[in-house]
Amino acid sequence: MTCAVGVERKSVQGASEAPPLMTSFSADWGSDISTLKGVPWGKAMMWVFLVSDTFIFTCFLVGYMAVRMSTVEPWPNPSEVFALQVFGNSVPLLLIAIMTFILISSSGTMAMAVNMGYQRRKDAATSLILVTALLGAMFVGMQAFEWSKLILDEGVRPWSNPFGAPQFGAVFFMVTGFHGLHVSAGVVYLLTIAFRLRRGKYDESNFEIVEITGLYWHFVDLVWVFIFALFYLW
Amino acid sequence: MTEFEAPYQETMDVQHPRSWITRYWFSQDHKVIAVQYGVTAIAVGLVALVLSGLMRIQIGFPGLLPFITPDIYYQAVTMHGMIMVIFLLTAFLLGAFGNFCIPLMLGARDMVFPFVNMLSYHVYLLSVVVLMASYFVPGGPTGAGWTLYPPQAILPGTPGVDWGIVTMLLSLIIFVVAFTMGGLNYITTILQARTRGMTLMRMPLTVWGILMATVLGLLAFPALFVSAVMMLLDKLVGTSFFMPAIVSFGQPLEYSGGSPLLFQHLFWFFGHPEVYIVALPAFGVVSELISVHSRKNIFGYRMMVWALVAIGALSFVVWAHHMYVAGMHPYFGFFFATTTLIIAVPTAIKVYNWVLTLWKANIKLTVPMLFALAFILTFVVGGLSGLFLGNVIIDVPLSDTYFVVAHFHMVMGVAPILVIFGGIYHWYPKLTGRMLNNALGQLHFWVTFLGTYAVYYPMHYLGFIGVPRRYYANGVESDFYPASAVTLNEFITVAALVVGLMQFVFVYNLIASYFRGKRAGPNPWGATTLEWQTPNTPPDHGNWGGTLPTVHRWAYDYSVPGEEQDFVPQNVERRS
Amino acid sequence: MTDEPSQQHPIRIYLIVWGLLFLISALSYMTDFIDRGFWRWALILLFMALKAGFIVAVFMHVRWERLALMAVVLAPPILLLVLVGLMAIESDYTRSIRFEYFAEGVQEEALPVSTSNKHN
Repeated sequence: MTCAVGVERKSVQGASEAPPLMTSFSADWGSDISTLKGVPWGKAMMWVFLVSDTFIFTCFLVGYMAVRMSTVEPWPNPSEVFALQVFGNSVPLLLIAIMTFILISSSGTMAMAVNMGYQRRKDAATSLILVTALLGAMFVGMQAFEWSKLILDEGVRPWSNPFGAPQFGAVFFMVTGFHGLHVSAGVVYLLTIAFRLRRGKYDESNFEIVEITGLYWHFVDLVWVFIFALFYLW
Repeated sequence: MTEFEAPYQETMDVQHPRSWITRYWFSQDHKVIAVQYGVTAIAVGLVALVLSGLMRIQIGFPGLLPFITPDIYYQAVTMHGMIMVIFLLTAFLLGAFGNFCIPLMLGARDMVFPFVNMLSYHVYLLSVVVLMASYFVPGGPTGAGWTLYPPQAILPGTPGVDWGIVTMLLSLIIFVVAFTMGGLNYITTILQARTRGMTLMRMPLTVWGILMATVLGLLAFPALFVSAVMMLLDKLVGTSFFMPAIVSFGQPLEYSGGSPLLFQHLFWFFGHPEVYIVALPAFGVVSELISVHSRKNIFGYRMMVWALVAIGALSFVVWAHHMYVAGMHPYFGFFFATTTLIIAVPTAIKVYNWVLTLWKANIKLTVPMLFALAFILTFVVGGLSGLFLGNVIIDVPLSDTYFVVAHFHMVMGVAPILVIFGGIYHWYPKLTGRMLNNALGQLHFWVTFLGTYAVYYPMHYLGFIGVPRRYYANGVESDFYPASAVTLNEFITVAALVVGLMQFVFVYNLIASYFRGKRAGPNPWGATTLEWQTPNTPPDHGNWGGTLPTVHRWAYDYSVPGEEQDFVPQNVERRS
Repeated sequence: MTDEPSQQHPIRIYLIVWGLLFLISALSYMTDFIDRGFWRWALILLFMALKAGFIVAVFMHVRWERLALMAVVLAPPILLLVLVGLMAIESDYTRSIRFEYFAEGVQEEALPVSTSNKHN
C-alpha cells in the first residue's frame, strides 16, 4: 500500500449521514489538513467574508439605533413617508412590500439554481441565476425610484427633511445605499457566474460555485430582512 | 484502511511568472507579497519616525525648528499615530509576517487564493498613497489625533479640515478593504490548507497569534469602516451622525442631534481589538523566538493557545476603558473596568509561561533572543501601567496625560516593534539565505532597547505630575509645569533622536546583508518548525518541491531527552 | 470527491421555506397596522427572527452543515449583542441628558406628512 503524502482522509462515515454533533465538532477541530470538512476553499472564504459583512451592517444599524434613540426630535413615521398613492388611497409601505416580495422571489430562484447546480443541470442553473439577477436588478431599480421620489418630491435630504429628525434621511440613504450597492454588486457577480457557467468554465467541478454565489445572494436578502424590520416597520 | 484522496493543494496551480512585472510587482507568491508589505510598511514607518522626531524636538526644545507651528505639530501627532498603528504595525505583523510564515509553517504551497492575496497588497499600497496624499492637498493632513474624534475633526480650528480629514478617512476605508481580502485568505488557508499531520494544536504559536489577530481584524475593522463612512458623510454631505447642535467660531452650524460619543464607541469597538491585532502576532512570534533560541519547548503550549483565544474574545468587551472620562453612561465604567481587569489574566498567564520557558533553558543570546527578552521586559512594564489606567478612578487624573502616552508606547510602540525586529533577524536567513550582520544587530538592539526605555520610563513621571498629552506648548516653566518636567522632556527628546537614528543603521543592515551577508544554511538556528525544512533556501515557488511534508510531532521538540540533536523538526517521524 | 454532508436536498423543502417566507413577510407587513406599543415591537422582532432563521438555516444551508462551520458562522455575531445592548443604554442616557439640560423647544409629536404635493 502506498501512503501518498499530503492527502486527506475520507471520513469513515457515510456521505449522507451527519455524524453526531459533539463528536464531529471535536473531531473536526482536532484533525489535520482541514477543520471545515468537505467545505471547498471558496465556500469557506465566502462564509468568513459574510460574517465580517454582518458586522458592517450591524454597525450601520447600531448607528441608526443610537441616532434614533438619542435624538430629541420626533422620528418620522416610515409607514407614512414610504406610502404610495393608489387609486386615491394612501397605501403604507406598498413599494417596500413589493421590493421585499421581489427579493424573496430572487432568493427562491437562487436556491433553485443551487439545487440545479448540484444535479449538474447546467442550463437550468444558468437560467435560474439569470432570473435571480433580473429580480435583483428590479429591486435596485425600485430602490432608485424610491430615492428619487424622496429626494425630488418629498424634499428629503441627508441633512434634513420636512418630517422630523434630520438624521432620518441620513440613515435612510446610508443604509439603503450600502445595501443597494451590495445588491448591485451581487447582480454583476451573478451575471459573471452565469456566463462563466454557460461557457463551461466550471464543468470540471461539482458546481459548488453556484452555492457560493447563492450564499452571497441570500446574505443580501438577509440584510434586507433586518432593514425592513428595523427601519421601515419599527 | 482508510482511503486517500488528493487534497486541493496538490492540484493547486502555482503561478509561474514570466516577466519582471509578474515576478516582482504583480507576484502572487506569498513570500514576495510578504516582502512587498514589509518594505512598504518600513518605508512609511520611517516617515512616521521622522514625524516623531519633529514632535520630540518641539516638546523638548520648543522654537528650535521654527517651521513647526501648532498646525504642523498636530498634523505630525495624527499622521505619526495613524501610520504607526495601522500602516506599520498592523501591516507588518499581519501583512509581512502573516504572508511569509503561514504557508511555510503549515506546509502549504501558497495561500488558498494567491490572486486575492496579490490584490490585497496593491489595495494596501493604494491606501498608503492616499494617506500620503494628505501632504499634498490644500490644508495638509488632518490634525485631529489618530483617534479622529468629532466634532473637532471636521470643524475649522483643526488642521486639515478641508481635505486632510477626507484623505485620511478614505485611506482607512481602502485599508479595511485590503485587510479584509488578506484576512480572508489567512483564515481560509489556516483552517483548510494545512498539510498532512498538521492539526491545529501542532501549529506554531506564530500561526495561532496571526490567526486570532486576523479573526479580530475581520470582526473589528467593520466598526472603523462604519465610523469612517459616517464621518465622511458628516463632513461632505452635512449629515449629523456625530455632530450635535454646535457653534463654531461664533456661527451656529446646520448640524443637530448627533452624538460625538457614538463615534467614540464605534471607534473604540474597533480600536481596542486593534491593539490586540498588533499584540497577538507579537505574542506568537515571541513564543517562537524564545523557544528556538533557548532550545526548550514553550511552557504550557495548550494554555498559550487558549490564552490567545480568550484574549481575542475578551478584547471585544473592554473598549470603553478608553472612554472613562468621555461623559458616557456613568455605570459603564464599572462594567468595562471589570472586563479590562479580567483580560489581564490570560495575558499574565502568557508572561508566566514565557518566563517558565526560559527557566533552566539553554539560552543563546542571539540578536533575536535579545529582542524577545526585551519584549518581555517592556511589555510587562507597559502592562503594569495599563492596570492603573484600567481602573476608573485612577484613570481620571491620568487620562490624557503623558502617563497614557508612556503606557501605549511601551505596549504598542516598543514591545511589538522589538518583536518585529527580532522576527526579522530570525527569519531573514530563510528569506534571503544570508545572515544579518551580527555586530550591527547587537548595536541596533542595545541602543534601541536602552534608548526606548530611556524615552518611555521617565515619561510615566511626567504623566503623574499632570503634563497633558497633545500639547503644542511645552517647556515653559510655570507653576503648572515644573522645571523637572522641562529637563525631563529635553532628556527624552535626545534619547528619542538617538534611537531614531539607529533605525537607519538597521535599514542599512537589511540592505547590505542581502548582498554581503554571511551565507546561512537552511536552518541556522536549529528550529523545528516547517519553514526551516524546505528543500531550498530561499524557498522556491511552491515551497516544497515535489511532495508536501508530513507532520508527525508538535512544533516544540527541543532538547528532547534521548535525541542526538537538541531539536527534532516537525516532519521527522516518531521512532517506535 | 471528498466526503461532505450532502449538499442536495429534495427541492420540496426549498419551496416550502420559500412559501413560508412569503407568508411571514405578509404577516410582518401587517404589523404596520398595529399601534406602536409592546405587541408591535414584539411581532416585528419575532417575524424578523423567523425569516432570518429560515434563510440562514435552509437557504444558506447551515442546518445541514457540520457543527464546526456552524460555530464559525454563528458565534461571532454574539459579540454584536454586547455592542447593541450597551449602545441602546448609552443612547437612552444621551436622550435623557438632553431633556434634562436642553428642555426648551422640544417637540413631542411628529410633524404630519403633507399630502398636498404627493403624486400618484
